[in-house]
Amino acid sequence: MANNKDTKPSKISEILASDTFKGLLPFIGLVVILAVMYWLTNGRIMQPKRLRLLLSQVYYPMIVAVGVFFLMTLGSIDFTEGSTLGVASIVVSVLSFYNIPLAIIGGILTGAAIGAINGFFHVKFRLQSFIVTICTMYLFRGVCAYLTTETAIPASAAIKALDSDGLKIGITVGVLAVAFFLFKFTRIGNDVKAVGSGETAARFSGVRTDRVKFFAFVAAGALTGLAAFVNVIKVGSITATAGNQLETQILISLVLGGLPITGGAKVRFSNIIVGTLMYTVLNNGLVMLGFESATQQLIKGIVFLIFVALTIDRKALKVIK
Amino acid sequence: MQNFKNSKLFGFMILGAMVLFFYGLFKFLTPTNFGSPANLFSYFQSSIIYSVGGCGLYFIVVMGLFDFAVGANIVLSSIVGVILSEKLGYIGFIIGCLGCGTLIGILIGFLYNKLNVPSMIVTVGLMLVFESLAVFVAGGVKQTLAPELRFFSGAPGNIILAALAFALMWFILNYTRIGTYCNAIGSNEFTAKNMGIDVKKYKLIGFALLHFFVGIMAILTVSYGTTMTALTGMSTMSRNFQPLMGTFFGVAFRKYGNPISAIVIGEFIIAIIFNGFVALGAPTTIQNVVTGAALLIIVTLTARGSRGSVVK
Amino acid sequence: MSDKILLNAEHIDKQFGITHAVNDVSLTINAGEIRALIGENGSGKSTFCQMLCGIYTIGGGTFTLDGKVVNVKNQVEANNLGISIIVQEMGTLSGLSVAENIFLGHEEPFMRGLIKDTRAMIREAQRLLDEYGFKNIRAGAMIDNYNFEDRKLVEIVKATYMKPKILIVDETTTALSQNGRLELYKIMDAVRADGRSVIFISHDLGEVLEHCDTISILRDGEYIDTVKSSDVDEDSLKRLMVGRDIGTAYYRTDYGKEISGEVVLSVNGVTIPGQIEDVNFELHRGEILGFGGLSECGMHEVGKAVFGASWDRQGSVKLADGTEITSIPQAIKHSIAYASKDRDNESIILNESIRNNTVLPSLDDLAEAHILKAGKLNKFAQEFVDKMQTKMQHIHQFVSELSGGNKQKVVLARWLGKGSDILVLDSPTRGIDVKVKQAIYALMSELTAQGKSIVMISEEIPELLGMSDRILIMKDGRINGEFARSESLSEEDLIAKMV
Repeated sequence: MANNKDTKPSKISEILASDTFKGLLPFIGLVVILAVMYWLTNGRIMQPKRLRLLLSQVYYPMIVAVGVFFLMTLGSIDFTEGSTLGVASIVVSVLSFYNIPLAIIGGILTGAAIGAINGFFHVKFRLQSFIVTICTMYLFRGVCAYLTTETAIPASAAIKALDSDGLKIGITVGVLAVAFFLFKFTRIGNDVKAVGSGETAARFSGVRTDRVKFFAFVAAGALTGLAAFVNVIKVGSITATAGNQLETQILISLVLGGLPITGGAKVRFSNIIVGTLMYTVLNNGLVMLGFESATQQLIKGIVFLIFVALTIDRKALKVIK
Repeated sequence: MQNFKNSKLFGFMILGAMVLFFYGLFKFLTPTNFGSPANLFSYFQSSIIYSVGGCGLYFIVVMGLFDFAVGANIVLSSIVGVILSEKLGYIGFIIGCLGCGTLIGILIGFLYNKLNVPSMIVTVGLMLVFESLAVFVAGGVKQTLAPELRFFSGAPGNIILAALAFALMWFILNYTRIGTYCNAIGSNEFTAKNMGIDVKKYKLIGFALLHFFVGIMAILTVSYGTTMTALTGMSTMSRNFQPLMGTFFGVAFRKYGNPISAIVIGEFIIAIIFNGFVALGAPTTIQNVVTGAALLIIVTLTARGSRGSVVK
Repeated sequence: MSDKILLNAEHIDKQFGITHAVNDVSLTINAGEIRALIGENGSGKSTFCQMLCGIYTIGGGTFTLDGKVVNVKNQVEANNLGISIIVQEMGTLSGLSVAENIFLGHEEPFMRGLIKDTRAMIREAQRLLDEYGFKNIRAGAMIDNYNFEDRKLVEIVKATYMKPKILIVDETTTALSQNGRLELYKIMDAVRADGRSVIFISHDLGEVLEHCDTISILRDGEYIDTVKSSDVDEDSLKRLMVGRDIGTAYYRTDYGKEISGEVVLSVNGVTIPGQIEDVNFELHRGEILGFGGLSECGMHEVGKAVFGASWDRQGSVKLADGTEITSIPQAIKHSIAYASKDRDNESIILNESIRNNTVLPSLDDLAEAHILKAGKLNKFAQEFVDKMQTKMQHIHQFVSELSGGNKQKVVLARWLGKGSDILVLDSPTRGIDVKVKQAIYALMSELTAQGKSIVMISEEIPELLGMSDRILIMKDGRINGEFARSESLSEEDLIAKMV
C-alpha cells in the first residue's frame, strides 16, 4: 500500500534525497570532519606523530568492521564483537608463550567458534540475530570477566615485539583486499546481498540461505579473532574490559559510513573504510581539542544522530522500526 | 473451542514448571545455602526491579521497536531524583525520577518520529547523549540517597511500588486502547494506519510509557543500591538487557494471554539461576555467563521461529 | 435497483509522479446495485476506490455520497460516512483478539472515558459473529488461533457490521476458497436487497457477469463505459478492457497434439503431512500439465514439492535419469525452474536490481574460476530481459519499481537464461494484465515446442482448459481427476472434480 502523502519535493530536498547524494555524503562528511578538525587543532591532527596514533586506532576496528559489514548486509546484527575480541585476545595471549603462529590460529579459531555458536542458534532455531547475540554477548563477556577475575592476562614479550605499523597495515589492507574481492567478484557478494534484500526469494533462486548466514557469522567471528591478534600486539595484556563496547563503536562507524541498517542491495564496500576513519578522526580530534570525556561523548552522539538523519535511506525501510 | 494448548493456564503451567525445575536443581545441588524462603524472597526483590523495566519495554518491543537508552535513563533519572530529594524529600525523589524518566521518553519518541530513523539507531545516539547529560547533572560526583529516604529499598516499599507498576501495566493493556493499538502497530503498521490509528502518536505514547516505567525502575534501583555514579563510555549499555530478558518472556508468552505474569516470573527465574550459581560458589564474575546462557536456552525454547520464516 | 443516485463521482483524478493513474473519471452508482469495476492492471480501478475510502488522498474532483461530499483521511473516517472496504491481502492483525480486530478504530462505543469496557466489546463482537452464522469463531480468542479463511470472515464482519452505504470488495475473492466466496456473495446480495450498494473489483470476468448488475470499465486511468451485465459477455468485456479484439491468440487453439511418451519427471507417493496426500504423476516431454482445484486443495504445495522447496516431504520426485530432487539448489542444477504464486516474496527480490535478479540462479554458470565479471553479467541479463520484452528503464533499476506483469517477465527471463527444461509455473498470470498474459501464453507454447515441459498450477479454470495438454484436478490434498485436452471439455467437468 502507498503513502497517504503526495510529496512534491522542492529541488533541494530532491537532491538531498537522491541516491547519488546519499552515496557521496559519507565521503563529504569525512572530508568536512577532517577539515574542521584540521582547522580547530591548527593542523596538529595532520602531524605525522598524530596520524600514526590515529591510524593505530583504526586497524583492529576496521578488521572487525569487515565481518560486521557482511552480517549487516544480510540484514542481521551482531553484538558480540567486543566480547569475542576479549576472549580471543586472552587465547592469543596465553598461546603466545608457546608459539606465535599457533597464537594467531588460536585467536582466529576462537572467534570462528563463537561466530559458529551465534550462527547456529540464529539459523537452526530461527532466533533473531539481535536476540541471539545479546545472549552470547553476555555469555562471553562473562567468560572474559571470569578468566580475568584475579589478574590481567599478560602476553609474551615475543608477540609484543611484533608491534609495527608495517605488520598492522599489512594485515588490515590484506583483509580489506580479500573481502573486497569476495564481495565484488564472487557469488558470495551476490548471495549476501540477495539474502539481505529478500531472503525467501533468494532461497527460491537457489541461494543456500542458511549456509550463507551461518558462514557469515563464522567469518565475522574469525575476523574478530584475527583482530584480537592485532589488539594483543598493541596492548600487551588483557583485562576484563578488553574490547568493551566494540560492537557499539562498530555499529556507529558503519552507520556513519552510510551502511543502510536494513542491509541488502544498497550497501557499499566503502562504507567500512569511510565509517571507521570518520569515527576515529572524530574521536581523536575531540581528545586533542581537550574536551572532557562527557563533552566528547555528547558531541559524538549529536554528530551521529545528525548524520544518520541525513544519510538514511527511508525508501528501503518500508516501515521504520 | 479454544485449544487448551493456547490457554492462559497452559502458559502458567510452563512458567511454573520452569521455576520448579531451576529451584529443584539448585536446591538439590546446594541444599544448605540456596533457596530458603528468606533467600527466595530476596531473589524476588532483586528481580522485580527488572520486571518493572521489562513491563515498560513490552510496549516498545511489541511494536517492533527497540530502545538502547533505557540504561542511560535509569542512571540519569535516578541522579535527578536523588538531587531533587535533597531539597524536597520523597516528593522530589519520586517526581524527579518519574518526571525525568517520562520527559526523556517523550524526547526519544519525539526525535524518533521527527528524524524518521530506526529506533535502534536513534536510541544508540541518544544513549551517548544521556550518559553525558547524567555526568553533567551529577557534576562528576557519586550521588547518594539520604538514609531517611529509603522506604523503597526493601520490603514492603519496593514490593508495593512494583505491584503498583504491574497493576498499571495490566490496566493499560486490558482496559485502554493503548495495548490494542500497540499490538496492531506491531502486527501491520500500514493496516493500523488505515484503520485511523495515529501511529506516530502511539509510538510516542509507547516511548513515554516505557520511560515512565524506567522512572519507577530508577526509584527502585537507586533505593536498592543507595548510590548512583554517572559514567560515560557506553557503560549503561548492560543495564538495558536485564529488563529486556523479562520482555522476551512476555512476548514469548503473549499468545497465552498474559504477558505481565510472564515478565515477572521470567525475571524471577533468571534471579534463581544466578543466585543458584553464586550459592554453588561461582564467583560473581560468572553472573553474565549464567544470565547469557540461561537466556539463550530460554529464547531457544520459547521464541524460535517456524521453518522457512525469514528471521534477521 | 432504484433510480436514486447513491454515489456520484465527478472528475476524479489522481497522478503519481508522471503516471496519470486516474484521469478525469466521472460515474454514478445507484442505490441497491452491485457495480463491478474492471480493467487491466494499472487501469486505475483500485486507486479510484482507495481514494473513496481514504487510503489515498483525492487528487482532484469530488465524491458525493447521498448528497454529502466525501473527502476522508483514513478508513475509519470513511467507515463513519458509510464506506467500507475489504482488501485482497490479510486485513486482520495478529496479536489482537477477534473482538479487538472487529472494532479496531471503532472502540468509541465501548469507551467509558479513557477506560475500555473490554467485556462489552467481546459480547457485542460475539453477537455479530453469531448473527452472520460464523459461530465457530470466538470473539475473545486471539485471532492468531484462526486460519486465513476464518480471518477473512472476521474481516467481512468488520467491514459490514456497520451497514455501510457502499461496500467495496477489492479483488478479495482470489484469496478465498469456494466456501468463502459463497459467504461473500451472500453478503453482497444482502447489501443490495437492503437498498445499499457494492463496488466489486475483480479480474475474474465470469464472476463479475454472474454476480454484478452493472459493469464499469476503466482503461489506462480513463473511464470507458458502463454496461448492464445482461447485455454483454466475456469477449465483449475483454474488448472494452483492452480496446481491441484479442481474437484467438489468447489461449492455444491446437487440439489433438500427441503427447510424447518420454517421461521427464516422475512424482511418486509424495505426501506432506497436513497438506498433500500420496500424490503420483508423470510429466512428459513437451507437455503442459495443468493442476487445478480450490485454492486450499494442495496444488500449490505440489509445485513446491517438485522444486525441492517443501519441508517434511515424503515420497520421491525423480528425473528421467533417476536423480532424486530433494533441495532447491539441486532442483535448479537439474534444470527445474519455479515461479511462485507469491511472486513478490518467493520469486523476486524486490529491493534488488533487475540484473541481479536475473543472474542469481545462473551465477555458477557465469563464473570463470569462481570469478564474476560485471560485463558478462550485464550482457546475460540484458539478453534475457530483452527477450521477454520487459518494460524498464535499464537493468540496474530495482524490481520493486516494475508492474506485476513486468516482474513476472523478470522471473521468466531468469529461468530462460538458466535454460531450465522443466518449468513449474504456479499461477503464472495471477494479477497480470491481458497483454502480458498473452505474451506468457505465447512463451509457454514456444517452450513446449522446443521440447521443454511445463507444470502449470492455476486457479483460473479457463486458463487450465485453454493451455493444458493434460489437467489434474486436486481436492483435499489428493489428485481427484485427470482430463486430456479436448475441445468438448467444459468448466463444469473440472468443477465437478474440485468440490
